[in-house]
Amino acid sequence: MADVVTVPQVQPVQPALRFLRVIPGVLLLAAIGYAGKLLEQNVGAYAKAHHWTFPNIEYVLWAIVLGLAISNTAGVPEIFRSGVATYEFWLKAGIVLLGARFLLGDILKLGGVSLVLVAIEIVGSLAFMTFLGRLFKLKPKLTTLLAVGSAVCGVSAIIATKGAIEADDEDSSFSIAAILALGALALFTFPVIGHFLHLSDRAYGLWAGLGVDNTAEATAAGALYSDAAGKLAVLVKSTRNAMIGFVVLAYAIYWASKGQAQAVGNKAAFLWQKFPKFVLGFLLISVLATYHFFNKDQVGALANLSRWAFLLTFAGVGLRTNFKDMRKQGLRPFAVGAIGEVAIAVFTLALVVGASKLFGW
Amino acid sequence: MGAKAKAGTKESRWKLSLDSWAVVLALLAALLIRAGVFKHVPW
Repeated sequence: MADVVTVPQVQPVQPALRFLRVIPGVLLLAAIGYAGKLLEQNVGAYAKAHHWTFPNIEYVLWAIVLGLAISNTAGVPEIFRSGVATYEFWLKAGIVLLGARFLLGDILKLGGVSLVLVAIEIVGSLAFMTFLGRLFKLKPKLTTLLAVGSAVCGVSAIIATKGAIEADDEDSSFSIAAILALGALALFTFPVIGHFLHLSDRAYGLWAGLGVDNTAEATAAGALYSDAAGKLAVLVKSTRNAMIGFVVLAYAIYWASKGQAQAVGNKAAFLWQKFPKFVLGFLLISVLATYHFFNKDQVGALANLSRWAFLLTFAGVGLRTNFKDMRKQGLRPFAVGAIGEVAIAVFTLALVVGASKLFGW
Repeated sequence: MGAKAKAGTKESRWKLSLDSWAVVLALLAALLIRAGVFKHVPW
């Protein structure tokens, strides 16, 4: 019997069935997101009518809080899970559509500044997280995953790096949990700090894009501050995302040179495979908008469609954040992540404040 | 096994990533709006 290996038979799922399976979860995302939108409109009006002093809470925060409340009390029933997992899909579609609100000149101007800041942030974060991982005696591959997750783009970067450096499932779960938990904290702390420091929309948007790791949380953290800050946070975060292939390739080559991962054959194909395609879609739509392929009303319609896509994303961010699951992952990687993230947040804030003074924002 | 593996590789070559599907859907929506199928998207 020793040489008999039982491989679980996975039945291929028909595309139509797969589509049907996501419908309940997508409807749940839409219901929570829309409830957030209704709460934004009605709570403020109710408070005003009763002469209460109540802060204007945007739909972004309502959707996240409603999702968090469901996920951490009743939990998300199995029937909704596949659909809830589509929030990343809506996020990427929303970012592509958001391209209509950027003219190419703005992207080149802001993208140029953010590219320099992104390069500094990536090098600084990778170096600091590697130092922390060694200090706390974490496994080297776990340190790599945490470093890439906090320097580049959260969960996607961790998943891409895991495959390239052949890291353990456990290490990637640790890293993803740490990045998600810290992203959830950033959602609530970044806007408060931004308001406390009276950051301009531009400075705050840059900071959220540089300092928050996961794309969904960076988008939400930006949108929680203002619409303009949200737009800029997405642009900066997309610039960080565009770097994913280069960072993962460098680590893949490093681990292969140590004989602990497969050598990378075609490097151009590797880069293309890891490159986030939604960044290309975003650029394409903004080129079309720049050359007046869409009229003013159509740009408005695309921007609104992007908001609807983000509405589903923000509901998903809340629903997939479960604090009990995160606690199970252990304290040490979380501690390394937390120390690193706080240091990166302070470092990127200093970068942004320096750039604001330099460019007079 | 060989033929099956080959078939699997051939099939996965045509499979789009989540990223790419999001781009396809967004571009399709943009084209429909451009063509006037959806004239107004409320918010």
